[in-house]
Amino acid sequence: MIVETSNLNLYYGSFQALKNIDLSVKENLITGIIGPSGCGKSTLLRVFNRMNDLIRGVKITGGVLIDGEDIHSPVCDLILLRKKVGMVFQRPNAFPLSIFDNIAYGPRIWSITDKKTLRDIVERSLAAVDLFDALKNRLKESALSLSAEKQQRLCIARLLAVEPEILLMDEPCSSLDPIATGKIEELMLQLKRKYTIIIVTHNMQQAARIADEVGFMLLGELVEFNSTKKIFTNPSDKRTFDYISGRFG
Amino acid sequence: MDRHFDEELQKVKKNLLEMASLVEESITKALEALKKKDLKMASEIKEIDHRIDRFEIAIEDQCIELIARHQPVGTDLRFLIGVIKMNNDMERMGDHAVNIAGSVAFLIEQPRIKPVSNIWSMASEVKEMLKDSVKSFMDNDAKKAQQVCARDNVVDEMRDETIRILLTYMIEQPDKIGSAIPLLLVAKNLERIADLTTNICEDVIYIAQARIIKHHAEEQK
Repeated sequence: MIVETSNLNLYYGSFQALKNIDLSVKENLITGIIGPSGCGKSTLLRVFNRMNDLIRGVKITGGVLIDGEDIHSPVCDLILLRKKVGMVFQRPNAFPLSIFDNIAYGPRIWSITDKKTLRDIVERSLAAVDLFDALKNRLKESALSLSAEKQQRLCIARLLAVEPEILLMDEPCSSLDPIATGKIEELMLQLKRKYTIIIVTHNMQQAARIADEVGFMLLGELVEFNSTKKIFTNPSDKRTFDYISGRFG
Repeated sequence: MDRHFDEELQKVKKNLLEMASLVEESITKALEALKKKDLKMASEIKEIDHRIDRFEIAIEDQCIELIARHQPVGTDLRFLIGVIKMNNDMERMGDHAVNIAGSVAFLIEQPRIKPVSNIWSMASEVKEMLKDSVKSFMDNDAKKAQQVCARDNVVDEMRDETIRILLTYMIEQPDKIGSAIPLLLVAKNLERIADLTTNICEDVIYIAQARIIKHHAEEQK
């Protein structure tokens, strides 16, 4: 298991957002997390690279292991953790810099300054998201001039530039049209050969199409975690069926 | 609150049950025509079969539209997949009823022969199996469906027995071959109908419990 939580609880002040989450994420799979708004799925995703640390009043109990290491241990290097566990957000958040500088941003933080090495990283990262051929003559242009789908790809390439192991994706297609969504999904299926992907999505069909395993969350609980086939053909818990079939509520 | 989709699923179920009742009528009437050597009654089977065919197309169309528009999951998905398969199996049963009715024309000029009593026992068992399989679908009753599946062996044995008797009869009385061959075909058609009712019951079990029992799939896991 590349990610493992045991009896994980998270509180925003007195509000308990995650309740006794036991989750095991396997390497090189796409794990989908589904559930209604406010069920805690984005909160759970943010636990894995400790993004919740930035929120005042957050308290976490229970264990979270990544590659067998406790990420809440005092000796855990937070910068190294966020290098290992990258995140893609709902809206593409390209920096107001050139395409090249967006991709080179992370490696430069990691003190890579050699121009040839940076060029190689930019080329490799853009190629991994199938953008290099389209953008190789536009690397000095602003990343903000790209379409939403290309900006989202660029953001993924920016993660890949620092060689992560796990990609967290929080509704990565919610601001994209169906064609762009299809392209990002294809990209995810290619990327899982090399990376582990955890995706939060409201789009049930997206989870059904691309995820290998799916967890259904409700009111902070992980109600069911199973193979995608099992979840969508014969869920074990009635609440899961009610949600995925639109009977919920 | 019932969803519009639930109402649509109920319409599919209602249509399949109506089709099943036509299939039952068609088989019963074909056997009656055979018993009475009634060519007029036998000719009515084709008209029923046309109606069965129209149901098959309509139900398939309904299922495809619901899958495309609602992307069903869980029980809903299993239900629609099961219905598509049952729909096809029921249409095939209708064809077997047409085949049975077709035998009447061959038997009309032939003398009645003794082994025909085996055919009636077989027919009665097959009709019961069909009735129970449709009931198991109507009630989403996997237990009843499982019981029907177990009865398929009984029909297979009855068919083997009928064939053995008819073959002996033909060897001993070659002048009765004209009467025996259509009955052999009727036995074969009845046995196929029993197989198709078994398929329906396997689909009922899949819909109700998500278990695939055909080809001993569970034992092979």
